[in-house]
Amino acid sequence: MAKIDLSNISHSYNPNDPNPVYALNPFSMTWENGDRYAILGPSGCGKTTMLNIVSGLVRPSAGRILFDNKDVTDLKTEDRNIAQVFQFPVIYNTMTVYENLAFPLKCRDFSKSKTDERVNSVAETLNLKSFLNSPARKLTADQKQLISLGRGLVREDVAAVLMDEPLTVIDPDLKFRLRRNLKEINEQYKTTLVYVTHDQNEAMTFADNIIVMSEGEVVQTGSPKELFERPNTTFVGYFIGSPAMNLFESEATSNDSVKINNTLIKTQTNLSNLKTKNIKLGIRSEFIKIAQNQNENLIDVNIEKVEDLGNYKLITAKMGDFTIKSKVTRETEIPSQNVKLHIPAEKCCVYEDNKLI
Amino acid sequence: MNKLYIFLKYFFIVVWTVFVVAPFLWALTTSFKDFQSVNGGVTYIPWVDFEPNLEGWKVLIKSPARGGVDIIEPYFNSLFVTCTASLISIILGTLSAYALSRYTFKAGFVKNNDITFFFISQRIMPPIVLSIPFFLFLSSINLLDSLTGLIVVYIVLLMPIAVWIMVDFFNKVPREIDETALIDGCNPYQAFLKVVLPNSIPGLIVAGMFCIIFGWIDFFFAFILTFTEVQLLPVKIVALNSSVTPWWSLSASALVSVAPLIIVAFIVERYLSKGNLSGAIK
Repeated sequence: MAKIDLSNISHSYNPNDPNPVYALNPFSMTWENGDRYAILGPSGCGKTTMLNIVSGLVRPSAGRILFDNKDVTDLKTEDRNIAQVFQFPVIYNTMTVYENLAFPLKCRDFSKSKTDERVNSVAETLNLKSFLNSPARKLTADQKQLISLGRGLVREDVAAVLMDEPLTVIDPDLKFRLRRNLKEINEQYKTTLVYVTHDQNEAMTFADNIIVMSEGEVVQTGSPKELFERPNTTFVGYFIGSPAMNLFESEATSNDSVKINNTLIKTQTNLSNLKTKNIKLGIRSEFIKIAQNQNENLIDVNIEKVEDLGNYKLITAKMGDFTIKSKVTRETEIPSQNVKLHIPAEKCCVYEDNKLI
Repeated sequence: MNKLYIFLKYFFIVVWTVFVVAPFLWALTTSFKDFQSVNGGVTYIPWVDFEPNLEGWKVLIKSPARGGVDIIEPYFNSLFVTCTASLISIILGTLSAYALSRYTFKAGFVKNNDITFFFISQRIMPPIVLSIPFFLFLSSINLLDSLTGLIVVYIVLLMPIAVWIMVDFFNKVPREIDETALIDGCNPYQAFLKVVLPNSIPGLIVAGMFCIIFGWIDFFFAFILTFTEVQLLPVKIVALNSSVTPWWSLSASALVSVAPLIIVAFIVERYLSKGNLSGAIK
């Protein structure tokens, strides 16, 4: 267990090229001891590179990595005491399940009794107890992934457990249970867990802190609530949340108001120092409701369709060329004509050049 | 349709079996014949067509002084040279193949694939091209007509086979296995020995089998690089021939020389049919 500092890290796979392409642009970040982190972003955004840098499989082109303030940038993987679980199960085919789980302990000269205790405890958590003596290669793909996961969790003293989309091959039911187990392990042993995923639900339900990445850039870090309510960029607004954040091209009309399609919307953002005309208003569909007795920030819309999605209704409406999505409770009565939607000023995010003001 | 398929299947199996087994049967019966039975028209069935005797087999173990050829010493020479050269080739070849599969080498325009091709290219040229250099090389280090000299030459000939097979094999073993072993606390050597190598046993068996076959059947270099001190089995068998071809002892020696390969084939087949590589990843 350790506090992990990533200081000015950047990485290029062709650093000697005259025009190197950076898989990871410079960033700094601290992972506190015992916390749960999720790295979220589309495929190819640098998530796996970041993990490989922390585990030492990749040496960053620039920057330092510190474990508990000790520089480990040049330390080899095997000396870092870190655990990493890959997207697809990696098992040692020639060994039994027990030997697989015990391997990281054996490599570090743990005693037989301690190894037994740890392997049994991990096997219990992951439902592998009845397979301990079976050859690992005979198990199914998801059981094999449990072995990979188990090898990651079997050492209690690791600096962090890094998981690279580890639940991709696991069926949804077990996935849910395992995520809960991982949370319990984290709470019990205070192991720092870092979980890479491109699935926002997985990230939101698993982590206390989410790191959103796009094209090699760390675009925002924060709690699920912060990312949801105050996305730093339009990318985060679009990427997080289902449906994506409503974003409207708009024009600033005063210090705190913008105009969309000739409708004035008041915000709580100070718009006096705008430098460009590329202004967008962002609002989550969860915060847009059908107007009851409000008298400002109302927009007239035509309802296009209403989808009943079980626990809520999703309204798709049109205001001129703009499409607006609003999530309302199932009980909400939706009038067919003269619909007015209310946009609460305190929930509006204004973006200049796609960055939150 | 189904019946026709079954008929054709068994028909071809029978044809193929006859094709493979007939020469062995022919050699086996011939080895128990004498001059009369071989030259006096076609005969097949022992005790009916001809009277079997052990003369052909006895010649193989009798000393030359008593009219025999004594293949025992060449036989063990061949076993020793083939096994030693194969073992060393597999060890060196596996290490080179692992390096070529996992690390990037670059010297000017020469990269990993070019190095691999260089190894394979050693087997592309006709052996005769290599004969004079080998002869001069062994003579300069005083290893002509010696087992050590032959082992050195066979390592040169067999290692490309091992490298070729093992590079391909290691390329199919996912890199994540090595990386996981490093993360689990192995150093790169332990990762290779404890994790990658045990996963590569089928590849090692195939490579070993090819090395043993090519080493065992070589006549050309054994003939050119040895004279009187040391003889290998293929050379000795050819030496059996004389103005009257002794078909009986030639047949017996052919059977004796093919026996180790048949044993190897049976053992290897068992290992290979286990298919224990599948499922290392995914």
